[in-house]
Amino acid sequence: MNWRIIRALVAKDLSLFFKNRFFAIVTVIGLIFYIVIYFVMPKSVNENLEIGLYAPVMLPALEQMQGEGLEIERVESEDMLKEGVIEGHYVAGIALPADIMEGFVSAQKPVISVYFASDVPEETKDAVEVMIRELAYQQVGQALAIEVSEEIIGPDLAGMQIPPRDRMRPLLAIMLIMVETLGLANLISEEIERRTINALLVTPVSVKELFFAKGITGVSLAFIQSALFMAIVGGINHEPLIILVTLLLGAILVTGVGFIIASLGRGFMSVLIWGMPILIILFIPAFGVMVPGAATGWVKAIPSYYLVDTVHRVANFGAGWGNIWLNLVVLVGFDLALAWIGIMALRRRTL
Amino acid sequence: MSPRHVGILLGKDLWHGPKSLIFVWALVMPVIISLAVSLIFGTLFSEKPRLGVLDEGNSRLVAMTEQLDSVTSKEYDSVSEIKQAVEDGAVDVGMVLPADFDSSVTQGKETELTTYIWGESLAKNRIILGATIANLVRDLAGQEAPVEIETITLGDEASIPWSERVLPLIVLMAVFLGGLFLPASSVIEEKEKRTLEAVVITPASVGDVFIAKGLMGIILSLLTGVVILVLNQAFGTEPALLVLVLALGATMAAEIGLLCGALMKDITTLFAIWKAGGIFLFGPAIIHMFPQIPQWIGRLFPTYYFLQPIIAISQGGAGWSNVAINVFILAGLDLLLIAVVTLALKKKRQFAT
Repeated sequence: MNWRIIRALVAKDLSLFFKNRFFAIVTVIGLIFYIVIYFVMPKSVNENLEIGLYAPVMLPALEQMQGEGLEIERVESEDMLKEGVIEGHYVAGIALPADIMEGFVSAQKPVISVYFASDVPEETKDAVEVMIRELAYQQVGQALAIEVSEEIIGPDLAGMQIPPRDRMRPLLAIMLIMVETLGLANLISEEIERRTINALLVTPVSVKELFFAKGITGVSLAFIQSALFMAIVGGINHEPLIILVTLLLGAILVTGVGFIIASLGRGFMSVLIWGMPILIILFIPAFGVMVPGAATGWVKAIPSYYLVDTVHRVANFGAGWGNIWLNLVVLVGFDLALAWIGIMALRRRTL
Repeated sequence: MSPRHVGILLGKDLWHGPKSLIFVWALVMPVIISLAVSLIFGTLFSEKPRLGVLDEGNSRLVAMTEQLDSVTSKEYDSVSEIKQAVEDGAVDVGMVLPADFDSSVTQGKETELTTYIWGESLAKNRIILGATIANLVRDLAGQEAPVEIETITLGDEASIPWSERVLPLIVLMAVFLGGLFLPASSVIEEKEKRTLEAVVITPASVGDVFIAKGLMGIILSLLTGVVILVLNQAFGTEPALLVLVLALGATMAAEIGLLCGALMKDITTLFAIWKAGGIFLFGPAIIHMFPQIPQWIGRLFPTYYFLQPIIAISQGGAGWSNVAINVFILAGLDLLLIAVVTLALKKKRQFAT
């Protein structure tokens, strides 16, 4: 391979890509928007139910129940309780009657008032009622004849949940990579439509060099943006080498996909129409990270899963080479397969 | 402007449009997105704790969990299946009921209940599910609750589920995808193929061509917007007012599309604008989805004045008096955009007639 020719082709493609100054500016603005979206998203998870309590007499069971997941704040009066609920300080406000203990002792059911703001969902209201009933059972000493054994599956994140914006980080990085796929596909598709690719092939440029140069252009465009994004949002604070290698492999993956889309498309709109369904499929694993449980085992058949999963595990769970090497091997496999399919499809169309 | 010429040009665009991929894409895509987003946000983003149940016998507890409103329950057939569901995060807690569970509970015999807890599950979900399971077992054992609970609702703001929070985004996409892309791509395509020059040597003027393309965008995006609202059963109590606001929104979309068409020389640039500038269009819908973001920020975006009346009418049951100011601002923005498009046309020498 002649590297001088490849370098010239890459320089030509990149200059074509950014020849339009406006296009270059909006590409940068696009990247800025992704960063803004990240920083606008909530940076912490409130995993507690905040409950206000007006209790002229304190129930021992209530104190025992307070802990992880339940945050009970005592207030001085029922009016303060109502105010706290209306202002959204508490999900619910519990007002215990002054004679609650006497009620329990005399087996008369005491009435507990629970205040909810009108925008609290019904399921939350039901859940609070369930907890109050359980509290009352425990207070009167009604034993439960079951022994519960608990096993935590996966890393226990209670009290240190991943904030939504960090869950979204792989999705945003991958969106940046994927969107450039369409840009590359369009670039190639236009060259085919305008037959400039045929003109190039009558010069000393070989087919191999041509596709290699296109590949480098695509990988550079996708990789640089996503790496920059991850660096700014703190996504490469842990194991930067793994993240960068993964993003690079991801960029190669989408370049292969870009070749395939370019071979199918006839002009920009056609590229867009073919590209959108493919992009939606590639986005699914990233949604799986944002909404755990939404995607099950079948998601592993989607090549981008290995990209998303690696970025998520390394950036959010501190995984190392030993935990994700298999993902990278599979990703390399998909890279080779998709790049080969893409090149073959393009060859068929151009030659 | 000649209404006859506009009519002929509009008829041509509407006749030939469906043969183009972009036409089909701009109409079908919002419907697909609507269905996908409704599925994702309507069911997957539910904030209810999720309980998985494996019944090794024939426990009544399974049916009892299904009747609960406070949790979502799902039944599994084997330990490996329920453990996998917990590991994937499909359920927060997986509970294994032994074969003789009901009889042991009713006889007050000590019995073991195995639970698997997803490590990423929120602490509040764990405590809710723990209390729920205990309550169910007590019901099964015939224990009577020692308290009565009186619930009192304060205030009058209704809870907005996720499926409703994303509706404005879907409507905005439906109206702006077709309304903006169709006129813009149509003008750019004519410029690229130089057919626009051929048209302007006929009695039709550039203004006629632009009006025809704008009308095509308005008609199609209005149609898509109506379809999306019908699909989401969000037509509210004032359908005529809703259609009026949709029409004004569609006009805004078409005008932005025409402006893009006039100023941009190729589709790649249009796509670049869409990629970076999309946030200006969809900003108010995204802000509406997250009540934590100060809602006044939405007012800075022009599409807010289209979206707010849509939300107020379709979800809040608002009438003309509640939305009039925003509708007038929207109409004002439409007029302003007409002036901007006219100015852009005059400035572009290639369109001079």
